[in-house]
Amino acid sequence: MIRGRSPVVRSAIRAASPLALLVAAFLFFAGHNQPGGGFAAGLVIGAVVALRTVAGIGRPQDATRWFAVGTALVSVVALAPLLGGEPLLDQVIVSETVPLLGKVKSGSALVFDAGVTAIVVGLFVAVFDGLDADELGRDEVQV
Amino acid sequence: MSHLVGVVAVLSLPNPRPAFVVALAAPLVSAAWAASKLSGGEVDTARLDWVEGLDLAFSFRVGPLGALLAVLVSGIGVLIFVYGHGYFGGGDRRGFAATLLAFSGSMLGLVWADDVWTLFLFWEATSVTSFLLVGTKSTDSTAVTAARRALLVTVAGGLVLLAGLLVLVDVAGTATLSEMGPVTGDQATVAAVLVLVGAFTKSAQLPFHVWLPGAMAAPTPVSAYLHSATMVKAGIVLIGVMHPVLGAVDIWSGLGVTVGLLTMFWGAIGALRHADAKLVLAWGTVSQLGLMTAMMSLGSGKAIFAAVSLVVAHAVFKAALFMAVGEIDIRTGSRDLRSLSGLRASMPVAFWVMVFAGLSMAGVPPLLGFPAKEAAIEASLNESGASGDLILAGVTIGSVLTVAYTTRLVLALFSDKGGEPTEVAPFRWAAAAPSVLLSVLGVVGYVLAPSVTDWVVPAAATLETKSAGYALLRWPGLDSTAFWISMGIVAGGAIIGAAAARHSSPPETVGANNVDRLVDRTLDLAKWITGRVQHGSLPIYLVVMALAASLAVIPFLGSIDADQLHAWDRPLQAGMGTTVVAAAIAVAVIRSRIGAALALGVVGLGVSALFLIQGAPDLALTQLLVETVIVVGFVIGLGGLTTQFPANGFVWRSVRIGTAVLAGAAVTAALLASAENTPSNREALVAVAVDEGGGNNLVNVILTDLRALDTLGEVVVLVVAAMGVLALSRADTARGGGAPLSDDVRKGRR
Repeated sequence: MIRGRSPVVRSAIRAASPLALLVAAFLFFAGHNQPGGGFAAGLVIGAVVALRTVAGIGRPQDATRWFAVGTALVSVVALAPLLGGEPLLDQVIVSETVPLLGKVKSGSALVFDAGVTAIVVGLFVAVFDGLDADELGRDEVQV
Repeated sequence: MSHLVGVVAVLSLPNPRPAFVVALAAPLVSAAWAASKLSGGEVDTARLDWVEGLDLAFSFRVGPLGALLAVLVSGIGVLIFVYGHGYFGGGDRRGFAATLLAFSGSMLGLVWADDVWTLFLFWEATSVTSFLLVGTKSTDSTAVTAARRALLVTVAGGLVLLAGLLVLVDVAGTATLSEMGPVTGDQATVAAVLVLVGAFTKSAQLPFHVWLPGAMAAPTPVSAYLHSATMVKAGIVLIGVMHPVLGAVDIWSGLGVTVGLLTMFWGAIGALRHADAKLVLAWGTVSQLGLMTAMMSLGSGKAIFAAVSLVVAHAVFKAALFMAVGEIDIRTGSRDLRSLSGLRASMPVAFWVMVFAGLSMAGVPPLLGFPAKEAAIEASLNESGASGDLILAGVTIGSVLTVAYTTRLVLALFSDKGGEPTEVAPFRWAAAAPSVLLSVLGVVGYVLAPSVTDWVVPAAATLETKSAGYALLRWPGLDSTAFWISMGIVAGGAIIGAAAARHSSPPETVGANNVDRLVDRTLDLAKWITGRVQHGSLPIYLVVMALAASLAVIPFLGSIDADQLHAWDRPLQAGMGTTVVAAAIAVAVIRSRIGAALALGVVGLGVSALFLIQGAPDLALTQLLVETVIVVGFVIGLGGLTTQFPANGFVWRSVRIGTAVLAGAAVTAALLASAENTPSNREALVAVAVDEGGGNNLVNVILTDLRALDTLGEVVVLVVAAMGVLALSRADTARGGGAPLSDDVRKGRR
């Protein structure tokens, strides 16, 4: 429907995508102390995936890969403490002074959150894969 | 452990050719290790805690019995892999070899387990792997049905066993086998019956024997392995290890001996009726298992000793017999006793293997089967009273029939039927050597009976201390009653067998069909129910779900605290709330699809604003983002639909309105009931969050650290659900070929 009809929308989405990804990155890192976090970041990236699907421009294709990466990250963070004799999901917090940014404090929860983000994005890719084949593909046949 | 490595190694082999050679390394290692333990007498234990709080552990204990059984399982396993190499000739058998190895490993775990849950796990593992093995020829419907039957019978028995073990652990107070003392009483009786039924299913005792003859649909290496040294022995081993615990229960030996002897009799009859050599052996196995079950559950020192000896002797001769029949099968293409002719001249190796192993099965000296059978007869003689006479009669009749079907099998298989001799394919050493070795072992075992005694006696003594004094006698002497009974059995059996070898008619299978019919009925019923429940109408699903969820609120209605209720905290909430309600009503009333979607967006944004007012920016942000994505979803979804909602009839509309009102009321009630009445522990949470989680955003610290296990569970559920959706959508495309739906179907969609 929108595909192939509105170059304006298409270009706008194309231009907005990197900015949206920047917003996602901000939300992701802000999450520890302010509103945001891995889930919210995943939603923003998901919205980008959705918009690009509508506009018919390139987007991530393989949902399985996102799931695999996400699940792997989450499981590693969850299970790694067991090797050291710590309880499941025990957090490691690192505090480091980095040039430009100043003092940065982070923990293994960040990796866990990254896994959550990947899984949420994977979910969107999977859903829009399904919708794409179902609805948009048919439009293409008709238009 | 070496088996696990072996499975991985076999599966990752680049070249299918040496699969069996690589696979046999694992059982070779464990056989050698177990053999070194045989005469040592010391006990090795290993324990790996699984869930500490629940007293769940992988616990193993390798004593004399464990070592003896491991030598059988692994030693015959090695020979089976050699045999498999010869039997299959070529082709990619990596998956098969790995499954066989996994099965072998499960069996070792079973005989070494020192914890009832470990035992149960490996018990089930053998059921599952044997299912795969029996169904190796997955394109053959007979094999598939047989595999399903074997799985259902043994797994059903596994569930009974699980129930029995639960009761047992409760009454014994521990899950560790070596720490259990004898138990008696009503609870112990229940446990005893359940455990015995579990053992009966696995060891193919009446009336659960139906799966075993069908399992002959498997390739012969599988049959030779499963029905000699492993699978079917699991039940016997179970009865054995439970003897010190449950042996004192009244019903134990009565039930076990009765079922065992009946099975021995019925199995032998079956073996006499069949004309397929492999089926004769299968029914013979059922019969032999009956004898072992009877001896093991009889429980006297001599009987346990006899049972363990029989387990050893049977493993050796039955594996050899199966292998020889398999060799005949692959070289002639037939196993039919009535048509094979002239094999004695054309397949001399198989002939002599069958003769020696058969004589061992019949219990004729100078073969290992003889002293084992002698021990069984003596154990029956030792029983006093009417029950003792019955047992002796049962064992004697069963043994006569055993000799009879063995004689018939060998005579009929190798006789000249007149006419042309059957054509025979070239000799394969790998298919013949293991059976030769095993039949020679039958003789060696007899000659070295004192050494065998040294292995069997400590093993039997771990089950029943009174077994310690017995020995396998090469020559019991002419004044022994058992010897004369034994000779009488051989003579009588030989006459019957020789007579039976002349007439054989293909019999009807009894029992197995009933299992299949039961399975089919169950599946039909399931299909019927599914057809009724899963009608495919999305609105009806939603109505049912909403109604059911609403009813779930009822028990919590009592905990609503009316004093806590007030209209709003801030006036802004009232305004926003009104907006949300108005938009929600609009969604239900507007006929235009796009209008309803927009109204729904207003609801979402309004709720998001409410979150913000309440002081939950995180929730507000998430809600906002979700709304955004949903709008895009609508844009995509609405494109394929009509612009207006279809009109609904009055009744259906009323049902939907009623459900919506009820669901709304229920959600409200649920929220009210779960409202926090106690002062919040927010300060404590904040302190913990900053301290342990290292973050100031309380919500996110809870999500990723304090309650990260919940999050972990949620994302895993998410992934599983999404993968399911993905698979379903792809399956649909694959089936429908991606063809567009017809227009009226699409209009009908809501």
